[in-house]
Amino acid sequence: MLLSVVLVALGLAAFLGSALAPSHSHGLSGGVASVGPAEVANPLAGRLTHMVGTDLPASVVGEEAAAREDFGENLAGEKVSDLLPLPASSFKKPVKEYKAYAHVWIERTIQDAKALGDTLSGSSRVAAQHAWEKAWGDYMHLGADYGLFGELEEELDGTAGGPRTSPSDPDFVGFRRLEWGLWTGRPLHSLSRYDHRLVADLIRLRAAVPGVEIDALDYATRGHEIIEDAQRDLMSGMDVPWSHQGVLGTAAALASAEEVFHTLEPLLSGRDNTKGEVNNWLVRLRGLFASLRRHGRYPSLDQMGEREHEEFNGYVAGALSALEMVPSTLETETYKAPPSIERQR
Amino acid sequence: MRPLDRRQFLGRSAAVLGAGALGLGVGAEIASGASTSEPSAAESARRTLADELAARTDFVGYHQHGILTPRQTNAAFIALDAIVPRQSELIEGLKELSYRAASLTQGDSVGEIEIDDPPPDSGLLGEYNAPDALTVTIAFGSTLFDHRYGLAAARPPQLVPMPAFEKDGLEPDRCHGDVLLSICADHRDTVVHTMRELLRVTAGVLTPRWRIDGFQSTKRGPTPRSNTRNLFGFRDGTANPHADDAKLMDELVWVKPGHGEPGWTAGGTYQVVRTIRMHVEFWDRVGMFEQQNMIGRDRVSGAPLGGTDEFQNPRYDLDPHGRRIPLSAHIRLANPRTPETENQRILRRPYNYDRGLDEAGNLDQGLLFVAFNQDIQRQFETVQKRLEEEEMADYITPVGGGYYFAPRAARASGDWVGSVMFSS
Repeated sequence: MLLSVVLVALGLAAFLGSALAPSHSHGLSGGVASVGPAEVANPLAGRLTHMVGTDLPASVVGEEAAAREDFGENLAGEKVSDLLPLPASSFKKPVKEYKAYAHVWIERTIQDAKALGDTLSGSSRVAAQHAWEKAWGDYMHLGADYGLFGELEEELDGTAGGPRTSPSDPDFVGFRRLEWGLWTGRPLHSLSRYDHRLVADLIRLRAAVPGVEIDALDYATRGHEIIEDAQRDLMSGMDVPWSHQGVLGTAAALASAEEVFHTLEPLLSGRDNTKGEVNNWLVRLRGLFASLRRHGRYPSLDQMGEREHEEFNGYVAGALSALEMVPSTLETETYKAPPSIERQR
Repeated sequence: MRPLDRRQFLGRSAAVLGAGALGLGVGAEIASGASTSEPSAAESARRTLADELAARTDFVGYHQHGILTPRQTNAAFIALDAIVPRQSELIEGLKELSYRAASLTQGDSVGEIEIDDPPPDSGLLGEYNAPDALTVTIAFGSTLFDHRYGLAAARPPQLVPMPAFEKDGLEPDRCHGDVLLSICADHRDTVVHTMRELLRVTAGVLTPRWRIDGFQSTKRGPTPRSNTRNLFGFRDGTANPHADDAKLMDELVWVKPGHGEPGWTAGGTYQVVRTIRMHVEFWDRVGMFEQQNMIGRDRVSGAPLGGTDEFQNPRYDLDPHGRRIPLSAHIRLANPRTPETENQRILRRPYNYDRGLDEAGNLDQGLLFVAFNQDIQRQFETVQKRLEEEEMADYITPVGGGYYFAPRAARASGDWVGSVMFSS
């Protein structure tokens, strides 16, 4: 503690300690001059073996600094990040790329929804169910739009009345209304008006995407939020209570998370090993989903085997552990401790 | 709560064991103080055990216990629906419920065992049901006041079915109920035993609708006053009103007849229970900085951000723009600490819950939010609506619970909880 106090009192100490300390606190030996790069001139014009103005050996200072660094603190005891923050403007390109990707999938979904409308004019429920699966599966590729479009998004999902909107609720529209009708034997023609509304809402969504603002931190967290939500809402069956197409939706969400991640990969290069770790898990998940497809279709949740469920849960947990590092790896701000109550007085 | 004298406890234990019971000799010896020799290891263990289980809480009185009572370590909440067609049958069932709860909370002996009959109790606690700080708090839901039992005119005006708030994901089979039992004790087996016994005596009259078990985190300091942590790792209950401040409890907890409240509600309180799923895996992936900003406190010390002590006033007046504690922080929305919001405070008595895994393999854990208040609209609902704006709302999903009314306690032996509703 005494050492810390002395160091904090010396403005120079922080500079020397952090610049010269290794990333671990063991095995440090020798003075300052032997550690620094040879081509850098020593501004103090001499070999330093002790802290200036003290009897403290420089090696001890270095060890202290390294030990603090291991706890994410500088010598003043302040919490610090071990990576330089990125400018928020670095996210402009990834977000732009994502919007282009989203446009493609909205366009596809609009065509799908129109095709669904055609099947609702016919008599084949199976054909209409498959058309719904195609439209909804394509729509789920927009995972990173999470929460950006407010009421419009709720209308599309059919959850405007809350997470458990019921068929008697006037807000029960969108994909969920159609799913309910198709899997509970409602007359196909009675669902047409909901499909028309869905197409209109998708067209509004297409117009809204280019202008929406996506905050850098929000975008960096999208990757793991998409998968978290898919695991919670889709793989549990909660959001697909009638069609049980949680696997289909999760596969689409995974594709969306991958897209977000790929747009961020250039920013992740050279910053920890986040990129490599995420890629490892995404490859595994992609392989799992490929193995799940049977005759060109994903199984319903209740058709998955126990082993498949376990692998899915395990791989998702692994992927999330890696993806959770993305936001902190791409931090755009230096951490600032809150002002003390005393200072605000 | 008053600890039962260990000697008295053992003496009573011995008395109910019967002459053939193995423990009689030891128990009688300790009770009489006749022994001068060093106690055996078994005897020492028995004494220690007796101390652990001896705390006893009254059942009769004015206010029901389990409301202001310091939280015990374990709990079970079970909602029941009345299934009998007549008021008289319901009354008999409620009497049995109260009488059995009274005997269990005070510690009672197991009845005589007839070899041909099923045993008189679960046997889980042995020959003597030690009190173990047990409380059984009995409350009633709005549905009990429907047309079935002649109670419609007696319904407290704010006792309505709990509505679904904006971000709720309420599951119908985990909500509401005619009767709610809050069973709390220091040890888990006492809670389990009590639940079984109460269901046994009410069978055929009340049938279980939903239940959930709770536990309290262990006190880990650094001071005896330091609050325990919830499953998000933050200290919980720091700003809870002091239950030993009788004047404050009169202002915040106990219902005052008049102002629309029927006379029989005197001494009672509205109880709000919410089963709040906490998405702990999601939370564990959030950076510490964000976590602390969402709560408004330092995770380790529990101090408000910018402070040094758990119980320090957060001084929002010095931070009107949220530079130190964000305006959307949980503690700021839950209790803004302004003169206008003082009477909106609630008395919380929460527990953690842990129900295994959900369908997607995530841990099903969370908070059993239990609050007592004088006026649900003025207090709980006002606070709840403010909290809809908190960022932490993305990490929780309320899935169950209900509104209930916990009436005054039984007056004395022979009286029962709820009798006032029928005599009003």
